[in-house]
Amino acid sequence: MRWWFTPMPLGRIAALRTLAYLFIPLDVFVFTPWVRQHADISTRLYEPMVVGRLLHLPAPTHSFVLTIQWVMVVVAVIAATGRAPRILGVAVFLLYGEWMVIAMSYGKVDHDRYAYLVLLALLPTIGAARHGERETSEAAGFAVRSTQLAVVLTYFLSSWAKIRFGGWNWPTGAIFERAIVRRGTFLSNWLLHYPHVLEVGQFAMVAFELSSPLILLARSDRARYVVVAVMLGFHLMTFGALTIIFLPHLVAITAFLPLERVRPVVWVRSRVGRAVDRSPILTPTPD
Amino acid sequence: MTGKATRLGLAGGVVVVTLFGTLHGQDDWFPFGPFRMYSTRDSPHAPVTSTLMQGITSAGRRITINGTETGLRRAEVEGQLGRFEREPALLATIADAYQRRHSGARLGAVEIVVRNYDLTNGAATGHYTQKLLARWTRS
Repeated sequence: MRWWFTPMPLGRIAALRTLAYLFIPLDVFVFTPWVRQHADISTRLYEPMVVGRLLHLPAPTHSFVLTIQWVMVVVAVIAATGRAPRILGVAVFLLYGEWMVIAMSYGKVDHDRYAYLVLLALLPTIGAARHGERETSEAAGFAVRSTQLAVVLTYFLSSWAKIRFGGWNWPTGAIFERAIVRRGTFLSNWLLHYPHVLEVGQFAMVAFELSSPLILLARSDRARYVVVAVMLGFHLMTFGALTIIFLPHLVAITAFLPLERVRPVVWVRSRVGRAVDRSPILTPTPD
Repeated sequence: MTGKATRLGLAGGVVVVTLFGTLHGQDDWFPFGPFRMYSTRDSPHAPVTSTLMQGITSAGRRITINGTETGLRRAEVEGQLGRFEREPALLATIADAYQRRHSGARLGAVEIVVRNYDLTNGAATGHYTQKLLARWTRS
């Protein structure tokens, strides 16, 4: 219980806000453009999920998708500055929630953003926070801890899903072989000839996922850097082999890092200031 | 801090729903559904299936249509495969989407085919067979 409310610096919340909210325009226009491409698909192919049916959400027409997209991007960019964190934070959460309904209601659901959604839901529960602010709060701790827990649940429960849908013998299947046949890269295609290496990989993956709760035991800064590096390594490997990367999940993972030490505004100012000092054009000698 | 009990209550609720979703939910429980990406087991002795969408252009050329050309990803085509097989006329929506994304280019036909890639003891042999699953022709 005390773990869940460990006071955390508000500076980390400010950094997470900037990161999580600036991620949205990148997500929309660069990383997952297929979501906005649903605007061009007939609503006949829209298959509402439980949340869409419960809330009677409208079928996403072309103009509806584009409206949500632009409103969400503008609100997210303003929210990234830290202004009106509660109202704008709730607005971003609701808009991104609808964006996810547009994304996942056409026959395929992804599992790369559970922890990111938890982070978006919790950022508005904390008041104003400035970059680098060292003052701590229990509300900030709750948001950070819950996001960390959601990261771990994503790994742990995907093993559970493998047991449920694949059975206890999942690791001896041809899962990676199939994945590489369907979407291999120059880094992974050679592995098609070594199914037993892939089988070992499958055992390793389940072992990693089942032991993921240990991540929460990392107490020192150093231990936290190590677990973040392990998680990052896992996702980069998957990207190299299959071009699948859990980017929103990686944003949530930054909640493990001491982001309160990052002070982008101070850094930019000092950089700009130095450049100005050095520049002969901007600092002419008085005559 | 005020609201500690509220926070704990809500967090507990979310955890319980998430666990329940993993145990009994389906994909459409998102975001509380099971994390089932790559969770099914593929037999090392059965072929690997991969569907693809093909179209016939107005010039009569056969082309393979990828997800970004219509807005519907391969996994989404596979997720709705049953519907397309029962009602091939739905493929007209794919031709419409293609037209919208290719400044008016009209397709005369759209097909979904499945390729079965052979595996021997879990290793791909490089051979595949192909089968037509659904076809729509512009009338």
